[in-house]
Amino acid sequence: MAMSCDRSRKKWQKVLYKDQGVSDNYVDESFLEEMKKNLHIRTYEFWAVVRESNVVMQQIYSVWIFVAVYFHMRNFVLTPQFLFEMSSAVTIVGYIVNFVILHENALTKSRWKDGKTMGIFLILGFSLSPILMTLTKTISTDTIYAMTFFMLLANLLFHDYGTDAAIVSQAFSLNAAIFASICLASRLPTTWHAFSLVTFAFELFALWPILRRNLKIILSFLLGSVVTVSVATVSSVAVVVFLLLHLFITILCPAWLIRLQPYKNNIHGPWDEAVIKQ
Amino acid sequence: MKHSICMVSDFFYPNIGGVESHIYQLSQCLIERGHKVIVVTHAYGNRSGIRYLSNGLKVYYLPIQPVYNQCILPTVFTTLPVIRNILLRESINIVHGHSAFSALALESIFHARTMNVKAVFTDHSLFGFADLSSILTNKILKFSLAGVNHAICVSHTCKENTVLRGKIDPSDVSVIPNAVDASIFTPTSTERDPEKITIVVMSRLVYRKGADLLASVIPEICSRHSDVQFIIGGDGPKRLAIEEVREHFQLHDRIRLLGTVGHSAVRQVLVRGDIFLNTSLTEAFCIAIVEAASCGLQVVSTSVGGIPEVLPPDMIQLAEPSATSLVESLDKAIAKRRNCQLLSPDGAHDWVRKTYTWQNVAERTEIVYDKISAATEVTLADRLHRYNKCGLVAGKIFIFIAALNYLLLILCNWISPVQNIDLAIDCRKLRRLKTGGVNLEQSS
Repeated sequence: MAMSCDRSRKKWQKVLYKDQGVSDNYVDESFLEEMKKNLHIRTYEFWAVVRESNVVMQQIYSVWIFVAVYFHMRNFVLTPQFLFEMSSAVTIVGYIVNFVILHENALTKSRWKDGKTMGIFLILGFSLSPILMTLTKTISTDTIYAMTFFMLLANLLFHDYGTDAAIVSQAFSLNAAIFASICLASRLPTTWHAFSLVTFAFELFALWPILRRNLKIILSFLLGSVVTVSVATVSSVAVVVFLLLHLFITILCPAWLIRLQPYKNNIHGPWDEAVIKQ
Repeated sequence: MKHSICMVSDFFYPNIGGVESHIYQLSQCLIERGHKVIVVTHAYGNRSGIRYLSNGLKVYYLPIQPVYNQCILPTVFTTLPVIRNILLRESINIVHGHSAFSALALESIFHARTMNVKAVFTDHSLFGFADLSSILTNKILKFSLAGVNHAICVSHTCKENTVLRGKIDPSDVSVIPNAVDASIFTPTSTERDPEKITIVVMSRLVYRKGADLLASVIPEICSRHSDVQFIIGGDGPKRLAIEEVREHFQLHDRIRLLGTVGHSAVRQVLVRGDIFLNTSLTEAFCIAIVEAASCGLQVVSTSVGGIPEVLPPDMIQLAEPSATSLVESLDKAIAKRRNCQLLSPDGAHDWVRKTYTWQNVAERTEIVYDKISAATEVTLADRLHRYNKCGLVAGKIFIFIAALNYLLLILCNWISPVQNIDLAIDCRKLRRLKTGGVNLEQSS
């Protein structure tokens, strides 16, 4: 047990090889002295976070536009020819914009390769579209809609938003979106419908993110209004849900993140695995 | 006061390691002091059932196979009947679990507390807080430590770490360091090469043990001192890095890679050295440096975890975990060696022999046992209350598990009543009979 107090009592040392005359469960004042909390903390500014949340909204816009286009085609408001021509024109314009932005001094060979890829894809897509259409035709519509919902949700979850988290898998995200488009394509009347929808899905989910990353200007407002209008003409309930979702992600989530910052509790101390200093 | 102690862990003989030898040595010393000790562990291949080790140490190899990382599958409730049976048969009054990685130890402590048997837990390692696996492990540890009567840690840093992880009262944690059997690790001067200065490294060649640091330190030291040679014992994924260094700098005659060194051959390798180099990035106690000091080597080590607490400054040179700092410390140690300013090997050995003994560990552990035996019983309501404090959602889950375990215990008591369970023979009585000419000791 502890020694009787003597005035010349030496300071307790954090060593194991000396018998310091105290019991083994003695707690010194220097206990947890070397613990440091919240060393590498980031401070967030509300409007900066709101601007950054835009990245997530852009992908959500893509998903909503896609679903709205499907419903328009199903209601025969949108013809497959119009969709195909519009999406091809926008893709070509986007391609040129991308080329200009990147200032690629690449040889025309790369352009030729891209052209060939596009040609092969179009031909293959067109010839396989009867198969694509009948692939999921026998499944009931409810199941199709449920599967589409989950696939598009997976697309949103695994999409690469610019961080290097473990959950990011660009390939899985794209595959989920294309599978969703095939599911929906089977509900459309003709192969021409199916082909144009799948091509549109590819352009929207595979090519548009690439251009989006390079553009670096916020098209939010324009795109947001396009989505709102197209969804509104399909269903008024959907547009309300969309606007609420928009509000939640753009305003509420940043506010919530900032409100939770004071609860941060990162503990550092001598027990941490050492980081090799160069 | 003499106790009946049950040591539980997934890690025991025939596995060789730090935790294993800790349990064995502690058990032997406690038996010497007159307590009854049994060990409970899982089956190792065909080795299942009851075996006796020296001095009547009874080992229960439960018929459960290890699943992952030499541990059994954690099922919480299925180990209750067998543990209850063992604790009743052997009239155990203290259960002592070892190692936070061991599912069997944590479950046994839980069952012991459900049966109102006192429990002690020894933590041998350091954990982080931030990554996913640490968060889950720490939650499970909170659950275990909420029920335990006392905890033992092998160093002060380990105590701080355990208190933060398990959210227990620091006065419920005792610091009892590891020890080394100094009679095995004796120095000899004949094995050493007098012309050269030999640096010995004895560790697994993995990232955690600082194999990258080692790879960057070796060429620097070899270029500064022409009479220095390295002997590296141990194997692992980073062995390739060391071999590459050897190839690149043409140091074939100055670096010897021995591969995996068996436990009985460690001393033979250690006595060939003048300096022992340890480059670990994290260590709770590091028994290797004490073994090296016992063999008379000067130690150079990274100052991480509990290492600064283990040896006095004249026996160890501490360095930051960076190549430059290690090279500097090695230079100092080499200079001291050249000027014969180091502690003599016999002096170092005597110091270790007197300071880190298993008898001392057993004595201090006995104090812990006495203290918890004298403590008042905790009611079921109090226990559930403590589990509830583990977290908002987790607390409720833990209460449910604890209550269910209690009900299962009542069921076990009804199916196989306490009075029908035969009590096992107490080996202490056998030892006393032994002096009368009856030798019933079996060793395996």
